[in-house]
Amino acid sequence: MAAPTKGPRLGGGPAHERLLLANLAAALFTHKSIKTTETKAKRLRPVAERLITFAKRGDLHARRRVLAVIQDKNVVHELFTEIAPLVELREGGYTRITKLGFRKGDNASMVQIELVLEPVNPKPKSAKKTAAAASTAPAAKAEEPEAPAEETSTEETSTDEVATDEATTDATATDETATDAASTDAAAAEDAPAEDAK
Amino acid sequence: MAVPKRKMSRASTRMRRAQWKADAPTLVKTIENGKTVYSLPHRAKVVTDSTGTPLYMEYKGRKVADV
Repeated sequence: MAAPTKGPRLGGGPAHERLLLANLAAALFTHKSIKTTETKAKRLRPVAERLITFAKRGDLHARRRVLAVIQDKNVVHELFTEIAPLVELREGGYTRITKLGFRKGDNASMVQIELVLEPVNPKPKSAKKTAAAASTAPAAKAEEPEAPAEETSTEETSTDEVATDEATTDATATDETATDAASTDAAAAEDAPAEDAK
Repeated sequence: MAVPKRKMSRASTRMRRAQWKADAPTLVKTIENGKTVYSLPHRAKVVTDSTGTPLYMEYKGRKVADV
């Protein structure tokens, strides 16, 4: 089952909604900042940010996928050549929504949605948070894989040797579980830094 | 078409209407130039010049939109 759309529905049907969002996105890319209702802006944000992500990729396939949403080639050209370089270093969050007030006719909450085109100045990461993350993450990852690995290894070895001969099982089984556990530890230790690197 | 069978009594009309209540908005209190101002949170404010003419809308020290 497909997940329902997050946020309220717009327009008179699915096609109308697609067109509304595509036109809003095109207007946002041409004017860099548009005033609309809060409901529409909240639906527009994921659509526009996805298109900007395509623009950052910048190849022909990405351009065709954007053209499938926004029909206007001029707008898409501007998006790929002018907007994409400005948000090259920004990792998501390409739009900003600011609430302005309520419209006179229907009391709808109006907002200004704009592209965030300022150069990125990343916050300095707090030393405490990064240190805590570095210390807890490998410890937790190293401990977790051990327990299930040991259990599975004991089960496998014990069942195998029960099938072969019953007399000498106990000593050999314990020996092999010890060696297996050691090998799994080493494997887990090797895996853990690779996972951290991702 | 469904039609009411009886006249609605004054009492029930008034009981229904007694439930129409406006709830107070949650406001934030800020002090600007010595004046205490109550305003809605997370919402751009109108900047005016000395004569009270609205100039533009501002949020967190940044010009957001024209009025």
